[in-house]
Amino acid sequence: MHLPTVQFTTAQHEFRQQVRSFLQQHVADGTFRTKCDAWLSGSDPHFSKIIGEAGLIGLTWPTQYGGQGRSSLDRYILTEELLAIGAPVAAHWIADRQTGPLLLRFGTEAQKQYYLPRIAEGICYFAIGLSEPNSGSDLASVRTRAEKVDGGWLVNGAKTWTSNAHDAHYMITLVRTGPYDPQKKHENLSQLIVDLHAPGVTITPIRYLTGEHHFNDIFFDNVFIPDDQVVGELGNGWRQGLAELAFERSGPERILSTFPLLQQAIDELKKRGDVARLAEAVTLVADVWSLRNLSIGVSKVLEEGGDVDVTAALVKSVGTKFEQKVPEIVRLLLDVYPRLDADTPLDRLLAQAMLHAPGFTIRGGTSEILAGIIAKGVVAQ
Amino acid sequence: MSEMRQMVIEVVEKMLKDHVTKEHVDALAAGKWDQQLWQLFEENGMLALATADMAESDMTDLFALYPLMGKYAAPIPFVEHTLANVLLKTVGAETYDTLTTFVLVDEWHDTLPLVPWARDASQVVVIGREKLAVFALDKATIQKSTNLASEPRDTVTFSTLEAHIEVQLTAAQYDQLRTYITMATVLKSAGAIETAVALTVQFSKEREQFGRPIHRFQMVQRHLADIAGERAIMQAAAGNLLENIVPHEVGYARIRLEQAIRIVTASAHQVHAAIGVTDEHPLNHYTRRLWAWRDELVKANEWQHMLAQHLLEQDVDIWAALTAQSNYNR
Repeated sequence: MHLPTVQFTTAQHEFRQQVRSFLQQHVADGTFRTKCDAWLSGSDPHFSKIIGEAGLIGLTWPTQYGGQGRSSLDRYILTEELLAIGAPVAAHWIADRQTGPLLLRFGTEAQKQYYLPRIAEGICYFAIGLSEPNSGSDLASVRTRAEKVDGGWLVNGAKTWTSNAHDAHYMITLVRTGPYDPQKKHENLSQLIVDLHAPGVTITPIRYLTGEHHFNDIFFDNVFIPDDQVVGELGNGWRQGLAELAFERSGPERILSTFPLLQQAIDELKKRGDVARLAEAVTLVADVWSLRNLSIGVSKVLEEGGDVDVTAALVKSVGTKFEQKVPEIVRLLLDVYPRLDADTPLDRLLAQAMLHAPGFTIRGGTSEILAGIIAKGVVAQ
Repeated sequence: MSEMRQMVIEVVEKMLKDHVTKEHVDALAAGKWDQQLWQLFEENGMLALATADMAESDMTDLFALYPLMGKYAAPIPFVEHTLANVLLKTVGAETYDTLTTFVLVDEWHDTLPLVPWARDASQVVVIGREKLAVFALDKATIQKSTNLASEPRDTVTFSTLEAHIEVQLTAAQYDQLRTYITMATVLKSAGAIETAVALTVQFSKEREQFGRPIHRFQMVQRHLADIAGERAIMQAAAGNLLENIVPHEVGYARIRLEQAIRIVTASAHQVHAAIGVTDEHPLNHYTRRLWAWRDELVKANEWQHMLAQHLLEQDVDIWAALTAQSNYNR
């Protein structure tokens, strides 16, 4: 498919400069330190509150729900700036990126009025409960079940790999609200808002290979969910959840997770006046330029309500491969020794990039699953 | 994209689709000049696109046709002739209606290697770092040769180096010419990639093994996903360059093209397996062009070096550069 070409307007360019100055000021003030993959691993409720107060969460949402009513290209710009500088946005990231749009599209008026302004303030965080101990790539096989009881639902089961659930207040949880039929796995799935502090919810960490705490196991033992916490239509959970996947897959977070390392490496090479190695590093800048064109084109189609499932899968597949390539190239261009607690930013960013890299091509749909989606898409065209 | 541009693209695509069969491309390899197709372009006013008065937007309308030359492996020097004239116009020189070609040189000798279609052309535009000159080809000795794709790349020897025109070039003009030349490489290659991918997808649907079409195999799907990704990358790159010609972006596209060619040619051949490496199958018209074009004119490593110098000398912040509002050169 041919994607549209986007030239940012002067107003959009000015917005970018505003966001950039705001973030650079916070780096200068020591509010946060630049980090690779900070959108997943940099959870900092204090900073989330700061950018909520600055009106930078829920940017595209209607003002009546605490949003700014701006365009999705503005949001694209904001997202890029947050990632390029490696700001710690993980706490509110999923609520801003997925929960907000989901509730705006499928939520009840009461849900919108209650949750959206809190999310926009940077004080209310959501996790997404999809994967289960036996449902990874085969997501539609989820078995966590909700049984109808008086006034609501009783949830039993378990979710796993849930990012930042330990910091989140709520979780959009995909559950089975009817019988499981292996032939019709996508049916009888519903999305419930689970209060993660409700009785019967247990959250235990799955430590990342660095020992960091991003992922969690979540167990539900007769957790009561009131009827008014069902999102959208009962049994329509699969379709509702899928609608947001294109946004998740085609965004700048599939390109820029290791950008702070690339920027640092190029600054180092400039300082050393090493033209030969800069000429190697430039190939990575060419990758960023190319991937951005594609990703921005997809976001433009998404804004216009177009169908870009295949292209979005493609952006993630190519983009995350590039994210993984950055540390591999940088370590060959500079004299480095990766350590997470290094004083030199280059060594620290390299360590973060390397240790987080394996996840890039797994989270949000493995490259193997994406290859199947893309291939089927191009064969069908 | 303007309506005008869209219309011209449709007209040219139809001409190529109707006329260029595999036999025509094979005929070029056998050394034949495709007068019929050239005349068709001439009669439809397509050659005049390069010689008419031209604003930059008109120039991108012309450039927008270059992907089609790759997409159909057009066996005529449309890119060479029109681009040679664009280059002449860029430096304020007169254009030519008769077939014109061009070549980049490091040093000035009376022998020029790798001149595209010199055997058929009336004059050649020779571009060096400090000057551009036009030489008539009628009295030159021409030794025929070809590139990897069997396209004419002749060696021209002049008895005297008497130029029709000579224009001294500023550094900025030289960079501009190289930018346009690079644009052409990127655009025609993006077109050839499109067909190499289309042929591969088509083949994977038609070819059956073990009782099912091969696109059903996961290992084949991986190839299809990879080449679809590269096609999308280069289409988006071409689309951006055609909206707004920003020199360093042309360089990025040229650098990224290397990866696209490597992945697409390898996977396209792998999926086609044995039939794809035969003379009989059209795939080679596209993969050989990609292999030939990537080593011609302004190469990726030259851009890498130029961009690196620029980063260093101007102390460029790469994020600021990537996100700059691209309004210069307009």
